[in-house]
Amino acid sequence: MAFILPMFPHPGICAHFKELTFDQRSKCLHIRIEFAVLFSLMLGLCACDGANNPVSNDRQLIESDQIVRGADGRPKLDGIWQSLAGANWDIRAHAAASPVLDELGALGAAPPGLGIIEDNEIPYQSWAAEQQSENFANRLSLDPEVKCYLPGVPRANYMDQPFQIFQTTDFVMITYQYAGAVRTIHMNDPGPSPADSWMGWSIGHWEGDTLVVEVTGQNDQTWFDRAGNFHSNALHVVERYTMMSPNHLIYEAEIEDPEVFTRSWKISLPLYRRVEETVQLMNFKCVEFAEEILYGDLRKQPVE
Amino acid sequence: MNRPMLISLDHMVNTVAAMLLVAVPHLVQAQSTDDSNYVVPLTPDGHPDLQGIWSNAVITPLQRPLELAGKAFLSEEEAEEYEQARVAANNMDDRNVDSDTDVRRAYNHFWWDRGTNIVVTRRTSLIVDPADGRIPPLTAAAQRRAEERAEYGRLHPADGPEDRPLMERCIHLNSAGPPMLPSAYNNNYHLVQTSDYILIINEMIHDARIIPLDGRPQLPANIRQLLGSSRGHWEGDTLVVETTNFTNKTNFRGASENMHLTERFTRVDDDILMYEFTVNDPEAFELPWTVQIPSVRADGLMYEYACHEGNEGLRGVLAGARNEEALAREAQQGPN
Repeated sequence: MAFILPMFPHPGICAHFKELTFDQRSKCLHIRIEFAVLFSLMLGLCACDGANNPVSNDRQLIESDQIVRGADGRPKLDGIWQSLAGANWDIRAHAAASPVLDELGALGAAPPGLGIIEDNEIPYQSWAAEQQSENFANRLSLDPEVKCYLPGVPRANYMDQPFQIFQTTDFVMITYQYAGAVRTIHMNDPGPSPADSWMGWSIGHWEGDTLVVEVTGQNDQTWFDRAGNFHSNALHVVERYTMMSPNHLIYEAEIEDPEVFTRSWKISLPLYRRVEETVQLMNFKCVEFAEEILYGDLRKQPVE
Repeated sequence: MNRPMLISLDHMVNTVAAMLLVAVPHLVQAQSTDDSNYVVPLTPDGHPDLQGIWSNAVITPLQRPLELAGKAFLSEEEAEEYEQARVAANNMDDRNVDSDTDVRRAYNHFWWDRGTNIVVTRRTSLIVDPADGRIPPLTAAAQRRAEERAEYGRLHPADGPEDRPLMERCIHLNSAGPPMLPSAYNNNYHLVQTSDYILIINEMIHDARIIPLDGRPQLPANIRQLLGSSRGHWEGDTLVVETTNFTNKTNFRGASENMHLTERFTRVDDDILMYEFTVNDPEAFELPWTVQIPSVRADGLMYEYACHEGNEGLRGVLAGARNEEALAREAQQGPN
């Protein structure tokens, strides 16, 4: 846009520019810039995003206090969302932690986080608390994420990669960039889960402006995070998605698993909308990245 | 797009397209139960509703069999005979064979879900163009590439996981595409539609194709993806999806990474979604070629296909290859 500036006539304040004081020159430039913006908006000249991609003038700005609603009056959760909580490292409050692989140095260290658990406590049964410590000690070989396995619910929602919600009357679909994981949320109850799965069996309904999703039928293979927090296949999750503004929602999940915990417990975190004009999920098909770990021992010649 | 001016343009395009649709020869021929009066239901934002779980389970082959050269369509009686013969051929459950053959016959009707019907049009191939129903010849460069691949495969069938097909590694099923073709089983895809996106999820291997409708440009040319980069728009009642940015790993019937794929989805009946795709790839094929598959509404829901998480088979293949090498080495060393 800088090229537009010389084109504009000087308002009176900019006359004899060289004789102006520093403050007066700033004011002059400010006004010239405002003129340039106004003029270019009027001409529909290139308004470009940070990557210099043209932004379509057809798009409407969302008013800052308006949540977009569908024809059915419900908030529209459509869009690309992402957690900033760092909870995938550890859902409990945690200080920064050294890398599980020395060679990675600071790259592999866990950033600190305040956690996402109400009361900051996972009410493990005593055997389970020991199991979690063992999981943590062996996380490099045990964490399903290392092998690019599907992450389950709720972990998928607070990984460090975005996901996208598509909302219709009959189905709310969630697609995750990580491993191309997919969830179908049935808005018409189809009955119980026919078999255990990695991403579970989700049945949703609206309570006012909150989408409530009951998730059953998850197998026992997934973890809640990279720190070894785990569950059994009796896991029952009740999620709540509530939009708080056009660009963020509060995600809550009540966790119940009588085989592992002494009572139910709850997590809560904001999910932020990715607002870049042309943001999109891209492929993170990570199976290839895990093949050396999974099959390297069966190679014809070891990789040097 | 909410401006009144654009809505009326949409209506105009719709009317013109409906007239053209009747005029397009192969599509008219394609509808033996010609219901060109079918009025497709609309979504809340005024576009044809293409949603549902659809099945591509048809037993019509991609290419016209050589013995049917020149015969574009079967009669009703011929179709019945053909279906019975194909279904029998697919069932390899004949156990009156030697035990080696028996063990190799791992798959039979218990596993296959290829369907039992040919396409409703009774065309003898899924390819509708060229007229001979066959994939056009490969260019010399593509031919060379295919030969090199085959030669490499002969010499290195299983040195490591990357020598095995993408499907065996649970990375990608070629027939899930894009473009989509019938396969052995899990021939289902779930199409979900919002005002800004089309979402197509293939059951095998839970690939989600996210197709924006907002006119944004394709991904930058240096970004190549197995699923490519897709952009959609409406032409009358037809959803048109353009896909580019492929990698050189999928090798779709010899295609190059610069394949330009155009898919068309048109709901021609309550339970039939006409799926058509055209391959434009002058680096690989001497001519463009077009396929039509009338997808049929699937019975029931779609389920999770967690392939990689349960992939014992690939370990078996690699371990088997290492074992064969060990046996060969022992045989060479002789009885000492």
